Amino acid sequence: MAKTILIGLDGATFTVLDPLMAGGVMPFLRDLVAEGVRATLRSVIPPLTPPAWTSLMTGKRPGEHGVFDFFQKETPNSRYFRFTTSHDVQAATIWSMAGECGLRSNVLNFPLMFPPPALNGCLVPGGWMPWRQLRLGCRPAALFDRLKELPSFNPRELSHDMALEEKVLEGCAAEEYLDWIMLHTRRERRWTEIFLYLMREEPADFSAILFDGVDKLQHLCWRFLDPSLAPERPTPWEHEVQSACENYFRELDGLIAEIVSSAGPGATVVFASDHGFGPTSDIFYINTWLERQGRLAWAGDRGARPDATHQVGINQIARHVFEMDWERTTAYGATPSSQGIHIVRPTSDGTVGVPAEAYDRVRDELVEGLMGLRHPETGRPVVAEVWARDDVFAGPFEPWAPDLTVRLEGDAVVSILRSDSVMGRRPEPAGTHRPEGVFLARGPGVHRGASVAELSLLDVAPFVLHSLGMPIPDDLSGRLPLQALEAGSSPRRVVKATGVRTPVAAVMAPEPMGADAALDAEEEQLVLKRLSALGYLE
Amino acid sequence: MTFTHKQVLEEVLSLMTELSGDWEYSDEITAETRLLGDLAMDSLDLVILGSELQERYGQLPFSEFLAELGKQEADQRDVTIGELVDLICGQQRATAPGGVV
Repeated sequence: MAKTILIGLDGATFTVLDPLMAGGVMPFLRDLVAEGVRATLRSVIPPLTPPAWTSLMTGKRPGEHGVFDFFQKETPNSRYFRFTTSHDVQAATIWSMAGECGLRSNVLNFPLMFPPPALNGCLVPGGWMPWRQLRLGCRPAALFDRLKELPSFNPRELSHDMALEEKVLEGCAAEEYLDWIMLHTRRERRWTEIFLYLMREEPADFSAILFDGVDKLQHLCWRFLDPSLAPERPTPWEHEVQSACENYFRELDGLIAEIVSSAGPGATVVFASDHGFGPTSDIFYINTWLERQGRLAWAGDRGARPDATHQVGINQIARHVFEMDWERTTAYGATPSSQGIHIVRPTSDGTVGVPAEAYDRVRDELVEGLMGLRHPETGRPVVAEVWARDDVFAGPFEPWAPDLTVRLEGDAVVSILRSDSVMGRRPEPAGTHRPEGVFLARGPGVHRGASVAELSLLDVAPFVLHSLGMPIPDDLSGRLPLQALEAGSSPRRVVKATGVRTPVAAVMAPEPMGADAALDAEEEQLVLKRLSALGYLE
Repeated sequence: MTFTHKQVLEEVLSLMTELSGDWEYSDEITAETRLLGDLAMDSLDLVILGSELQERYGQLPFSEFLAELGKQEADQRDVTIGELVDLICGQQRATAPGGVV
């Protein structure tokens, strides 16, 4: 039976990988590319981890699968955002389709896998899955206890620890860099050990693993990874950090070699990144700009926050809700990652928000203002493109998307924090997402030693389904990338098309437990007292 | 099946006790145990725990809950297991067919 291995390299870009392969740091990957096919992989809008990996898993665009950001609006007109979960993935994934065809999948460290979706195989969730609750996310339910028996199993270093992860966006002290890089180097080893264990104990037709340290290192250490930014005469500390980064990729190359070797020579191996990477120095304070356009008002009179120099970490969840004066705000940016602006709709009494008849005018004025914005020092445009919601998020989930999405010129990123100026600058260049990711593949029927024209991220799912001998559903937006395949290449069809032509949500929610719970009068008073003490009831 | 406040509390305590076995936390977990101060959970832990509880008990106003929590000064920002259970039971009362059970 056809076996396929998908190796996700979060944020990988050829700008970084090519010099590492050419310089002998990643010899296994270099040889694998020589035996297979490579292409630039065009990400979705915006090129962001949750929507991009979901598009890769489903072959659909964000407006079609329902995931736009790390956070999701409670309802289309709500000001409250909640954390995006697997329930928001409203389309079949490649592993759910494989399962419907009777194929087994092992899926490790992919985002939006909590609460765990039904899966024919084994699952350990990734993304922002906290290590303290990793047990809840593993499937089958007993898997976590089996993994605990592995000699090197350490959930704290395998999964998400907020105290460490925030450094990727908020920056960390110079003396913390090396420990942080080494943590991610060890983390990739731990994920690989689980992968190899499952390959032995739970053989699967389709195995997928995501290495997310690539993204993390590139965010924080971009200036040590981008050859064009390398210091001519590095200080001893810069030299150490540079070596540690190189060591991460050297170790990763070795882990990839172990994984590919364990799959055997007949397997199809696919590498993909959710987006690419590039440098960033400028910061566009989108809510400060909206304030100056008369569209947003801050609550209170606290002035700019002292920490308004970097992006918002996840511990700032829902900050915008209490930082803005909702009586006087008609447009706001909720998260930096979405690069989006939401236009406030009227409340039921019609006293605040933009009425329907004024919506087009307000949206057009915002677009005009954004496109006319110039950098105060260079005079250059700040915004390269602005997309209206229906331009890029058409589909059944369009109402949940931002009304406007921006792409900034050059190396700028969005911040939603309150600032004294519309534009700011980082003390040192960091890394940020770019649309151009990577695609590499090797296996039966795949071109050898070829570099082919750019592919879409949406094409990865059809490629994987094809390699597994599965039919490609008609409703995917991605298409089988024929330029990556030898003429006439067609794997033996091993499964029937049962069920896969009907879109199915990745997750079937179980019936809530205790939905009809009741309290007696005493308990009710206790509830009200506690909620009141929390400030929940006022 | 109808769950009482006591039953929900017991179930959440059981869940937290099971999880804390992976954290090298040896103290007894009670309704008064603070999730941040005692169990060293962070904001993301709260968000994910909220997802798990909604999986078990249905939709909760968890975003508003976190937003209100976020208004508190950092050194006073915490939540006990009992308060989480109150949130669950309060919401179930609000959404019960016909109003308050």
